[in-house]
This record gives sequence, C-alpha cells and structure tokens, in this order.
Amino acid sequence: MTMTLIETITVGSGGAASIEFTGIPQDGKDLQVLVSARNTSTSTIFRFTLNNDTASNYTPLFLRGNGSTASSSVFAPLNNPFALEQTIDSYTANTFANGNLYVSNYASSVSKSISGDSVSENNATAAFQLLNTTQYSGTSPITSMQLFQTSGLFAEHSTASLYSIS
Amino acid sequence: MATPTYDLLESVTLATAASSVTFSSIDQSYGDLIIIVNALGSTTLEARIRLNSDSGSNYNSVRMSGNGSSATSASLASQTSGYLSVIADATTGEAILLKLELQDYAATDKHTSILARANQSATGTEATALRWASTAAVTAIEILTSTGNWAIGGTFNLYGVAK
Repeated sequence: MTMTLIETITVGSGGAASIEFTGIPQDGKDLQVLVSARNTSTSTIFRFTLNNDTASNYTPLFLRGNGSTASSSVFAPLNNPFALEQTIDSYTANTFANGNLYVSNYASSVSKSISGDSVSENNATAAFQLLNTTQYSGTSPITSMQLFQTSGLFAEHSTASLYSIS
Repeated sequence: MATPTYDLLESVTLATAASSVTFSSIDQSYGDLIIIVNALGSTTLEARIRLNSDSGSNYNSVRMSGNGSSATSASLASQTSGYLSVIADATTGEAILLKLELQDYAATDKHTSILARANQSATGTEATALRWASTAAVTAIEILTSTGNWAIGGTFNLYGVAK
C-alpha cells in the first residue's frame, strides 16, 4: 500500500506536442500526475484527455488568480479540458510551472472527479495560480492519459510523473 | 531500495447511506495524514470535519472559492466542526473529490492545521485552511455532513505519510 511511481516522461530537445501515459495498472485507487511544464509559444494552460476520449465529456470549472485579481469560470462540456498552468516562451528563461492533477477511483466504472492545482512563475509581479476541477462523464476505467498543447509545444526539460496511490 | 512513504491506513466504502464516517485509533507514527473522499450527498449539504470527537467551538477556517462565475473568500470562527465544502445533491450524479491534509497531527505542542481542496464542477472548487484549537494529538477523525447523508458507494481513504 503506497504511492508508486509508474513513469516519468521528460521532454527532449525540440519539444513535444503531447505527453502520454499508457497501460496504466488497474490495481490502484487514485492517480496523481506531477508536472513541471513550459510552453514554447503563448499558451498558459495545457490540456488533457483520458483514454484518448476526445468527445465533449469533460466539464471543467476553475478558480484562477494572477497576482492582482481572482476569477472563476465554468464551461460547457469540452473535448479538451484544462489541465494545469505552464510558463510560456516570453517568461523568464528557465522558469517552469508546477502542478498536480489528481484522479480518484480511476479504475472504477463510474464517472470520474479530477482535481488540479498549479502555479506558474515569471520572476515578475504577475504569475498564475489555478485551482481547477473537472467532471469526466466517461465510465470506463482509466488506462491512459494524454497531456497536450493546443498551440506550441512542451518545451525541452518539461517533465510529467505519474503515480498510483493504492 | 526506496522506502514506501504513503501508506493506506483505512479504507471505507459505504454500503449504506451514513451521516458520518469515522477513522479511529489512528496510528501515531506518521508525520502527516491525507484523506481522500469521493462521495455523493443525499441532499445539498456541507462536508465538515471533527477531530477526537471534539464538538467544542474550536474550529476556525479561511477559504477561497470559485463557483464558475465569481471568486470569493470567507472565514468562519469558533465553529463546532470544521467547514470543508458545499456539496451538491446526488441528482447531479457528480461525486465530490475532497483532499485533506493534516500536518504534524501527532504533535502535542501545536494546534492542528488542515488544508482542504474540494472539487465538484456542479458547485465549484474550494481551498480551505483550517485550525483546530487544541494541542491534543489527533487520534480520531470524523467526516460528517451538516444535514442528510453520504450516499451509498462513497469512498473514504485515510493515508499516513511517513516522516
């Protein structure tokens, strides 16, 4: 009974449009992904899907602060829900955002609740903090997870580690 | 070889609806505790926490919340149980994902601090910091409802984080 590292993926030279975990073991209770991310373009949040499901089965809601104000938004079901914050190309060199995405009861056959917490850093007055929740209406056990960009790439040295909590 | 640091101490899956779930006789050898709740409410309710069966006015909290249209912050002082989150009723079909962290729970020289993250797109997302105004070590944790019940099938998992 423990928190077990399943896989760590580090983005190499040239960047990557997506990071994917496949063949996720089904013997855990929850999944946690810890991410350090930077985007090569201007996208401040990367996206995710589960089981390669690209239908509009994800209902996201978030609370976001930027250093001066906070706001909250909820969205109609999307096919590319928000995952976590990331720094962007114009930010201070070598800064990366950190965050975790948590999926509970991932091996069950009911809809899934997902929690996200992330922060970016720019060595400046403005930086983002994101608390987000996503309801995924798919009922299949989660066997794969995709993290991806809608513009630009995951920059070199971005990392994602998937843990099983059992 | 690395030492496991995240141990499942107790897991409860509700076979019948219940107004509370209690973890008792908690092992005192860990540094922190983590509780993961994934459950539906029988009605719109508040999730709350009570430690060591203490129903005195000893729970204080500050929270920030987003409901999809606005961001707010509020505090509650001298409560008889600690506020964790609002939960929509079961008709939404959406279980809440509640993550609780109790730091240094076995200490006897400080008040116990709790960080709570609640997630339910039907109601919102919240982050709450709580303080239990007692220096007693935490030996029992009750996750209760303000009204109504936790629905059948709800899961409540208690983990110990090694120090």
